[in-house]
Amino acid sequence: MTDVETARAASADAALALDVRGVSKRFGEATVLNSVDFDLRKGEVHALLGENGAGKSTLMNILTGIYAADEGQVAVYEAPARIRSPSDAVALGIGMVHQHFKLVMPFTGRENIRLAAGTARAGSDWATVDARIADVLRLTGLEVDLDVSVSALSVAERQRIEILKALTLGAEILILDEPTAVLTDQEAERLLGLMRDLAGAGHAIVFITHKLREVMAAGDRVSTLRQGRMVMRGRAVTEVTSQALSVAMIGEQETTPIARGASTLGAPLLQVQDLSVRKEGVGVVDGVTLTVHSGEIVGLAGVGGNGQRELAEAVLGLIPSTGSIVLHGSALTDGTVSDRRAQGMRYVPADRTGHALSPNSSLAENLAAAAVRTGQLGHMLISIHAILGFARRLIDAFGIAGATAGGRRPVRLLSGGNAQKSVLARELDDAARLIIAHSPTRGLDVAACRFVHDRLIEATARGAGVLLISEDLEEILALSDHIHVISRGRLATTENAKPGREDIGALMLGHA
Amino acid sequence: MLERITLERRADASALRSAATYGVALVVAVALSLGVIIWAGVPTGALFEELIVQVFLTPAGLARTLTQATPMMFAALAAALCLRLKFWNIGIEGQLLMGAILATTVALYDIGGPIRLPLMLAASALGGTLWIAVPALLRLRFGVSEVIVTLLLSNVAFLFLQHLLFGPFGDTSHNFPTSPVFDEMEKLFRFGFGDTHAGLILALSAVLAIAVLVHRTRFGFAARFAGDNPRAADALGFETRRVMLISILLGGAMAGLAGGVIVSGTEHRLTQAVGLNMTFNGIVIAALAGNLPLMIPVVSFFIAGLSVASASLKVFYGVSEGIVLIIQGIILLTLVTFQFAATYRVTIRGPEAA
Repeated sequence: MTDVETARAASADAALALDVRGVSKRFGEATVLNSVDFDLRKGEVHALLGENGAGKSTLMNILTGIYAADEGQVAVYEAPARIRSPSDAVALGIGMVHQHFKLVMPFTGRENIRLAAGTARAGSDWATVDARIADVLRLTGLEVDLDVSVSALSVAERQRIEILKALTLGAEILILDEPTAVLTDQEAERLLGLMRDLAGAGHAIVFITHKLREVMAAGDRVSTLRQGRMVMRGRAVTEVTSQALSVAMIGEQETTPIARGASTLGAPLLQVQDLSVRKEGVGVVDGVTLTVHSGEIVGLAGVGGNGQRELAEAVLGLIPSTGSIVLHGSALTDGTVSDRRAQGMRYVPADRTGHALSPNSSLAENLAAAAVRTGQLGHMLISIHAILGFARRLIDAFGIAGATAGGRRPVRLLSGGNAQKSVLARELDDAARLIIAHSPTRGLDVAACRFVHDRLIEATARGAGVLLISEDLEEILALSDHIHVISRGRLATTENAKPGREDIGALMLGHA
Repeated sequence: MLERITLERRADASALRSAATYGVALVVAVALSLGVIIWAGVPTGALFEELIVQVFLTPAGLARTLTQATPMMFAALAAALCLRLKFWNIGIEGQLLMGAILATTVALYDIGGPIRLPLMLAASALGGTLWIAVPALLRLRFGVSEVIVTLLLSNVAFLFLQHLLFGPFGDTSHNFPTSPVFDEMEKLFRFGFGDTHAGLILALSAVLAIAVLVHRTRFGFAARFAGDNPRAADALGFETRRVMLISILLGGAMAGLAGGVIVSGTEHRLTQAVGLNMTFNGIVIAALAGNLPLMIPVVSFFIAGLSVASASLKVFYGVSEGIVLIIQGIILLTLVTFQFAATYRVTIRGPEAA
């Protein structure tokens, strides 16, 4: 038996570090966690899989006291626990390394740990903290320079400081949220080794990841969340196949394609050749080539943060890129955003309040913004009546509810569904030829989703093309004529224009 | 137990609610301010006389208030134009001083013949524009914080002013650091009502022009949109940076004009006291006016009245001039606090709720 196998065998019937029973959480109308059960054993690495929005972060936020559960119980080391604040979680020995590190950049690692210890309950004088840091360093063999400013350290080093911080504060239960996403392959290997060592020393570890290979390499057991439900609970990794995991993560029921008129695939509309984007020296979009035809919906599936947003922004001309972009026969590679919009390019961004709307401007102004920009409502002077009149038509045509006072109230007061309707109303005008829609139904209720899909389909019936970027595989499968998968900034395409669910899952997880 | 207090944005923040909030906040602010003035030693019976009658209701008092309000309106326009774009211009005094210096240069060197007075005003606008161009370009091009640059450039402008007054611009007929008095053709027309002068008309015209620009033009639309959400403006193809730069430069021009009307309308010469406290006044007025150009004359009028009142409180009751700053601070803080309360609902969870 290897060391890993020995450890796995030893942890099989060990004490429960965490026992979560029937935990539910709702945000407004949306049920984010639906009666979730989860257990974590002392001495194990427990991988937690799930798509974006499956509820992983919410569950972990409940365990670390950031959110309170609406229903359900949590036991820590078999004693009922009430975790009402992050300091309760620390006192119970639960530590978390967030995807976005919680470090004060100008401080050194040591100062960051002292700072965190100062807000914990006992033993926060510096000598005690420093002694504990020394103990943890000795026990874990972690290597990191604690006496230089965190801003001078690499991402992997910062992550080690976060882990050290959690352990110094007494974490027996350690939650790592997609810790390998920011690491190089070698760094990731090293981290997986550290996780195994910590488990071997008796810690209990929750390892959130999207990468099946890592689950197989470092996990003892695996659980999978899908749409707020625990669909696979605590299965030993030796007993599951990667195929089973990918099915658990993205579901297997047949999707009924939304009824559309006879597919009239027209001429190529958008041709993207070898598009690459570099951000702070790192390639985030890498040689993407794709074509959208008139009347076609091209779906781009992928786990969030794999270059989708940068791809969309590069095609729209918001960020610099290399490669070529041709829309309807016009080369737009060097064109500005307004050149591209003039050719009929439109954008429905994932973050609608952050990237599409002016929250403090009125609904009418938001609806009229594109028309104002192009001078449709007046070259120099613009009358309020022109704006309100323009908005009135869109409010009626798109049935934007909550548009009181003729759209004079600030758009930030609208619900998510109505805010998205206003973005669509503005972007899907008659001149719209190529629509980049990124997660257009995220956070919307069923009726609003339906509405958004219908409008996109209507646009294709008029001859427009749609590039649909979504993390929601159901949406991609239901709407797309052609599906690509993006993973680490590269397009993974199969020979089949519409690959099956399992193929897409495999490509998303980057092991095909 | 901070974790038991939660803030929730109100979804129903109506226009009526915000107007009512503003009203209540003003009443509370005035009450607190009166408390401070009484505590500083002004008898209760004299308050109405000193704060209302002598400032707004007597011809001499009203004239003083209007005279002081004139440059304040320009300074507040300067603040509002920049604040709308989240460009924190805390160097209004510096831009104002450079405006005053360039206007004085035109006057002292007799440049421009018959159009000297308009040229002085144009020069003052140019001075303010150039002085804000430095932090504006540094910010838009290199991301340098405008807070530091505008603040420090104010000191540079002030030291330059002193250099000029003790050197080339100094009036050799006496030992005070001021420039010689301007010629008649270099002075703005006076209405014969105290010191009030044509600068008041200019200020009100500027307010109107900027109100039209902000609320009725394509450029103003872009500026409002970009000020609220530059990313969304970019995605719509607005030329966000150009719009920001022009608005900020226009703000600098307004600050420069404040300096121009002080030297050509009120002082008739350049002094060290030109522009004193104008950064703070401008920002307070713009904030109280909610950055709405048309509200600026109203708020300027009251803030100017406060400043006029403080002069007589100092003479008759020995109250420090600093009391004005304290009262402005109280008014601003009260208003901001009430606006917060109108926007957010504060809930304090009981110990049992979790």
